[in-house]
Amino acid sequence: MARSDSTGRLTRRQIIAGGLALGGGFAGLELARGRGLSEAFAAAAAPKRGGMLVAAAEVDPVSLDPHTNSNFSSAQAYEHVYESLTGYNDKNQIIAMLAAKWEIQNGGKTYVFHLRPNVKFHNGQTMTAEDVKYTVDRVVDPKTASPWRGWFDTIEETRVVDPLTVQINLSQPYPGLLGSFAGMRASGIIPKGLAERENLKIKAIGTGPFRLVEYVPQDHLTYARFADYWDQPMPYLDGMTFKILTEENARLAALRAGQIQYAAITAQGQQQLQGAPGIAVLRNLVANVTLHYINVARKPLNDWRVRKAMRMAVDTNEVIQKATFGAAVPSGPIPSGYGDWYLAPQSLPYNKPDLDGAKKLLAEAGYPNGGFRVSLYCSPQYPEYVQTTLVVQDGLKKLGIDAQVQQMEWGAFVADHNRELTTHGQEGGEIFCSGNTFRPDPDGYIYPYFYSKGPINDGGYSNPKLDPLMVQARSIFNHDERRSLYTQIQRTLLDESPNWWWHVKYNIDAISTRLHGFEQSFTGRRFLLKQAWLA
Amino acid sequence: MRYLLRRGAWTAAALLGVSVLIFGLVRLLPGTIVDILAGTEGRLDPAQRAAVLHQFGLDRPLPVQYGLWLWNLVHGNLGWSFRTQQPVGELIAARLPITLELAVLTIAVVAVVGIPLGILASVTPSARVKALAQILGLLGLSVPTFWTAVMLIIIASYAFHWLPALIFVPPWESPWTNAQQMLLPVTSLALGLAAVVVRMTRSSMLEVLGQEYVKVARAKGLRGLTVLLRHALRNALIPIVTVLGLQSGFLLGGVVITEQIFGLPGLGWMLLNGVYQRDYPVVQGTVMLFAVTFAAVNLVVDLLYTSLDPRIRFE
Repeated sequence: MARSDSTGRLTRRQIIAGGLALGGGFAGLELARGRGLSEAFAAAAAPKRGGMLVAAAEVDPVSLDPHTNSNFSSAQAYEHVYESLTGYNDKNQIIAMLAAKWEIQNGGKTYVFHLRPNVKFHNGQTMTAEDVKYTVDRVVDPKTASPWRGWFDTIEETRVVDPLTVQINLSQPYPGLLGSFAGMRASGIIPKGLAERENLKIKAIGTGPFRLVEYVPQDHLTYARFADYWDQPMPYLDGMTFKILTEENARLAALRAGQIQYAAITAQGQQQLQGAPGIAVLRNLVANVTLHYINVARKPLNDWRVRKAMRMAVDTNEVIQKATFGAAVPSGPIPSGYGDWYLAPQSLPYNKPDLDGAKKLLAEAGYPNGGFRVSLYCSPQYPEYVQTTLVVQDGLKKLGIDAQVQQMEWGAFVADHNRELTTHGQEGGEIFCSGNTFRPDPDGYIYPYFYSKGPINDGGYSNPKLDPLMVQARSIFNHDERRSLYTQIQRTLLDESPNWWWHVKYNIDAISTRLHGFEQSFTGRRFLLKQAWLA
Repeated sequence: MRYLLRRGAWTAAALLGVSVLIFGLVRLLPGTIVDILAGTEGRLDPAQRAAVLHQFGLDRPLPVQYGLWLWNLVHGNLGWSFRTQQPVGELIAARLPITLELAVLTIAVVAVVGIPLGILASVTPSARVKALAQILGLLGLSVPTFWTAVMLIIIASYAFHWLPALIFVPPWESPWTNAQQMLLPVTSLALGLAAVVVRMTRSSMLEVLGQEYVKVARAKGLRGLTVLLRHALRNALIPIVTVLGLQSGFLLGGVVITEQIFGLPGLGWMLLNGVYQRDYPVVQGTVMLFAVTFAAVNLVVDLLYTSLDPRIRFE
């Protein structure tokens, strides 16, 4: 039975071409990896054991619970401690982790996982099928209130066949299950009974390459090498300390002072670091597509021509320049760079603004000079989204639309968006600027939002022609067939614009030239620190 | 003594008022912990949301929630954080020393540096020194703390290639490391506050120095320094002490930005995060602590008045 894994990633050439095509001078001039020759030479040497990595995290993890957290920063904190049945490699392909192999039977409704033997938890226990069953049951249990339960909603039953074999029965065939485990938002395997014994928000016992030594909320996390890690000889580092520094200037200063050997920075930060000795910069597209959710239950946003016209009037390139300093690539619904599921950036329909076409379309819809008012919500806690929305406002004004930008604190923003979702668009705002981060399966960017009965469908968008296509795409296993379905679905969604999709950014990491072996992941997570070593 | 008792009763009433205010205000914020838990990407269906609300006791009527919280509060139980389930009392105890150290050091630096400068500015005949004091005073007042903080970090790392250790070390573990870590944050906080104190000291001194009894003291033949310090300064100190007392309250709250920029795990930063995360117990507990501290500091200030000015008595 064919497996649906995401193959390959956007090559350097394609990234640069896409960026250059839109005058992203900044993006075009940089190499995806900014390392010098001597650095490449050194990297050819063998990994060395030892050393403490001191790094900076830009956001507090808030909680380390591998199943109930909702912050991406949580995943970035617990991913060194927990692992799941499957995982990702540096090419964003699904690989075997705690499950050594698996079979998909019964038309895709049954998965049988054969676990790796002699895998140890940090407390010395050996991992068995009971631990896996306990974990999956916890995630699927509504009382746990996992925000990612939807990734596993096809699971009906998890059975222990023998100490090293787990069988998972689904209600319908679902090719994305392997990705759901690899995604690590709600799938870290924990010892049976752990959640009842410990406060998982601040303590962690997993099978991962590093043990959690200490988590002081809002201050720092300390990890130590797990000597009995199953994937020897990794990890090479003796330990890691992540200090939480939310202020970018503080991170840049610490890098320059040699106090830290790793930090995530922005494009402006990269400019400030130019010429600093001993620091290399890595850039990689990361699965995070900036977009606007649109409440399609509100007039006149219920008319696809209005939404499309509004999108046509905005200059995508200007958005990229102002919001990301040029360090991004245009994107459709499935983020650019995601395997081979995404639409090539050069082929996207709105790369150049088309004011005349927009005015014509708007007139057809009955609003020849705009003349209506619309509110765009964003939160200053994500300045990039504010910048994006301000550029949109400019474009809309050219159509004669009274576009109001309302900045709200993030908690208030989330609450209002939730209200809009739970009332099916009757209450709450009209347009929300946010982003979609990594989804383990391309289905995650499509079905929940745009299927007519999808659980997070803003305002109830419904296209009866697309519905069966979406259902089909998420239940077949043939990669090429799925791909062609998602291409068709994405083109239609871009045309009808129930959301406006803008760009996918570069993840920019500054590392010490002493740090070797680290690679960025398209998921935006840092799990490849397990293969890193200090010279 | 009776004064203290009456004062105590008033303080208790004020604190009760604060408790009602903060309890209500924090619930007026749009969104609850449930919205934070779901974020914009995950989702919780209505049944799950109701379950979470119930778990945190947020589905009970407001007076019941308030009553339970107040009852626990007077018994010394500040509740548990919604976010991490850790006892709020523990969280505060871990972070209070840092914020306290920051506030106390700032007040000390401001007093030790600002008051003498203010005195100097009031008695100097040099027009240039007077002008300098005015300009510095204006700068200190106008420049925002966060700008100063960031500039100090940049200057330290670019010009001096130096930064203090990243993980906070309390003074009893390593006074030298701790001093280094406090240097920049205290400087950024003290600059603004010192400007206020210099101006206040200068104007207060000028007013006092123009008084009759100062002329009498001089006529008696007392030395200039004695007149200045023993007679003039003591009286001039009353408004200065008032300002410092008020500022200490603002300091406790104002250190939030400083803590965030310098990465110090203090109370202010914890409070701000608590607001963002709609973590009611953390916010309520921390604000009550600030209120109690503020009340205590102002009581001390008022008692200081009696030693500074014997004419002031309490009935």
